[in-house]
Amino acid sequence: MTTHPHGEAPATPLLSVRAIEKSFPGVRALSGVSFDAASGEVHALLGENGAGKSTLIKIVSGVFPPDRGEVLVNGKPVDLARPDDARRAGVATIYQELLLFPELTVAENIFMGHAPRAGLRRIDWRAMHDKTNALLASLEIHDLEADRIVGSLSVGNRQRVEILRALSQDARILIMDEPTAALTEYDVTRLFDIVRKLKARGVAVIYISHRLDEIFAIADRVTVLRDGAHVATKPVTETDAAGLVQLMVGRRIESLFPKITVPIGKPVLEVKDLERRPLTRNVSLTVRAGEIVGLAGLVGSGRSELAQTIFGVTPADAGEIRIAGQKVDIRSPARARSLGVAYVPEDRGTQGLVRPMTVRENFSLAALGKVAFGGFIDRGAERKLAGDGVKRFAVKASSLEQIAGKLSGGNQQKIVLGKWLANGPKLLILDEPTRGIDVGAKAEIHRLMGELAAQGLAILMISSELPEVLGMSDRVLVMREGRIVAEFAREQATQESIGAAMMGSHENAEKVA
Amino acid sequence: MSEIPLPQAAKRVVPWWLLRHETMLAVILLIALIVLGGLNSRFLTLDNLLNQGRLTTEVGLIALPMTFIIITGGIDLSVGSIVGLCAILLGYSWKVFGFPLPLAIGFSLLVGAAAGFLNGIVITRVKVPPLIMTIATLALYRGLAEGISQARSVRGYPEWFYFIGQENLFGVPAQLWLLLIAIVISAIVLDRTTFGRTLYAIGNNETAARFSGLPVDRVKLIIYTLSGLMAGLSACVLVSRVTTTRSDMGIGYELDVIAAVVLGGTSIFGGVGTIWGTVVGLAMIQLLKNGLALTGVKGDATIVVIGAVLIFSTLVASSLQRRRDGV
Repeated sequence: MTTHPHGEAPATPLLSVRAIEKSFPGVRALSGVSFDAASGEVHALLGENGAGKSTLIKIVSGVFPPDRGEVLVNGKPVDLARPDDARRAGVATIYQELLLFPELTVAENIFMGHAPRAGLRRIDWRAMHDKTNALLASLEIHDLEADRIVGSLSVGNRQRVEILRALSQDARILIMDEPTAALTEYDVTRLFDIVRKLKARGVAVIYISHRLDEIFAIADRVTVLRDGAHVATKPVTETDAAGLVQLMVGRRIESLFPKITVPIGKPVLEVKDLERRPLTRNVSLTVRAGEIVGLAGLVGSGRSELAQTIFGVTPADAGEIRIAGQKVDIRSPARARSLGVAYVPEDRGTQGLVRPMTVRENFSLAALGKVAFGGFIDRGAERKLAGDGVKRFAVKASSLEQIAGKLSGGNQQKIVLGKWLANGPKLLILDEPTRGIDVGAKAEIHRLMGELAAQGLAILMISSELPEVLGMSDRVLVMREGRIVAEFAREQATQESIGAAMMGSHENAEKVA
Repeated sequence: MSEIPLPQAAKRVVPWWLLRHETMLAVILLIALIVLGGLNSRFLTLDNLLNQGRLTTEVGLIALPMTFIIITGGIDLSVGSIVGLCAILLGYSWKVFGFPLPLAIGFSLLVGAAAGFLNGIVITRVKVPPLIMTIATLALYRGLAEGISQARSVRGYPEWFYFIGQENLFGVPAQLWLLLIAIVISAIVLDRTTFGRTLYAIGNNETAARFSGLPVDRVKLIIYTLSGLMAGLSACVLVSRVTTTRSDMGIGYELDVIAAVVLGGTSIFGGVGTIWGTVVGLAMIQLLKNGLALTGVKGDATIVVIGAVLIFSTLVASSLQRRRDGV
């Protein structure tokens, strides 16, 4: 029943999932998916957003039961009705959003809910402390103390606390959902060390990530899901990145960055000596019609802050902004919008989308003026606007009345982009336009950016992904500590040169490259 | 993800769960009506029902803007005190300043709007949470009312002034027309206009609303001002009905108003709610009070029943909500 056409089948897999089916109202999330993970194996789970990975994980960790099919641990069927059942079966899940108590110590977090007890059911603090130190030692973690407050730790260290918590409960199956999404390069290396140690101990690790290079670095086997169905399971040695992408999207991605060269027109945005301390200092830049300007920089270098100052969320204290040659004073997003400036923010969930509202309502949110007459919304015009947007951006939604927050990340991003384009802007500011969305949607957004530039839109793109910056931009600006510190023409820009400018020193450039 | 063809689903303009909540409330209301009507023959008479409409108008007028405010995730606790302040100023400006009565009415409405505007300006500019700001003005406005009135009441208004509070127009209590018009306008504004859409957007995600270029602060300022204005109007209707002005008028109105709005399915966390829900909520509370009183239930017990109904409907609403979010 289990499908691993090429992978060597372990005698009894530690975890085995058989023919799982699960439907939600209007959506078939999983249709007959089988999957297994052996002791000492890192099994990567791959698929576009909405492919069913999260549903599968939630079933294995007891968040909700499958409609059909069964889950076996050590060859025995288990009933995972509640998360607690999964915990007892030895399954631990580390979600993207870490579920820790920031006010409590490392030891308290690790033993939350199963603290060692002394007489009269008092918590045995000494034992808890000792056990924590033993766990830390077993993974050779030397820079974490049992009594540190978790809130003061870096993201990488918090994640280690979560892993330790799983180990303290004798987890034999560890599920990691995009564990590296928020980690620095260094923390990723350390995470991989820990994963290898867990492997050596016989833990089965189910590893979910969008980053293909990580999968080749750490996984033994990889399973690809698409549209809720099992597509393939292979040892990583028998596949490559292009092959995996093809399996995931079910078609060939022509080119990841389809940059079209278009004639560059007149300046649309001219910024001179813009100030809004502490993160916008003396910034001057120009973006022309048809041009895509990439804005690179480390997290915290002031890129989003600059974008939000131009967009009027945090109006400038000094300096000058010209839109299409006209000097303007932008004190609110509404003003920016009326001047033809659109901003697709970095944080889709809180800044871009009104998640509890419908696809239709989200599409028209920034363009209500277009579908309303004398303040009254014309429902027909609104439906047409949203319907056109859904078609143009190939948004996968069950209807216009679907709640936008229920769509996958890529589809949500298309809606945010679409709602701004409905307004016919002159300048489009994109803040991390493809963060956390899958390859297929990413390629579509890149293709769209090319098209929009060809139509004469000026685009300012903030991105932390250097290949994206290099692939899409006509020009690259680099920010550091609130200032623009370097500018590269498309031909001059390389990972090394941009990296060096981002870090502000040439020695460090080696690491980034 | 399975795709349902667009045209078919697009017909469903109102989400089913919203329909369900209000339908459910209406059903409960209907059952309550039948039971109470069966217990007492005087209850289900046109006269009695119209009279209940008369009595609920003062709370109802305030409940409409309160629905707007709660949809944005805000609250206005000062409405009862604004009623008191406006009532006092109506009497005071007429009797002491010697304003002609129409001018006094206009003056008290203006003061109501100004009181709401003050709430709004502090909430939007200084970013004081609405709960705290309006608790503060709840005390402030009531204190002003008491200070101005010096515990004296004003009586003896001209006869024509009692029309709105006591007379009938086409067989229906005069103030009920006022309420009906206000209901229809509010419902249209909430359901059909960009203003209404902005209210829902603010309640669901204020940041995204702001980032979409919606005039968040202006809209908030308008609804708090409107809330004050309607409290002023409510004060005029109340004075006209009871023929006297006292500084303790409108005490506790904020709770009646919020109870009706929340009972009507408006989420206290914002983003969800309708005027129709509020209307059903208002009717439910007033008719339960009246029906129970007619059936001989004592005042305290009536409050207990209303509390129980509120809890029950909240339970049903949240279980519906959970099923909706059941992914």
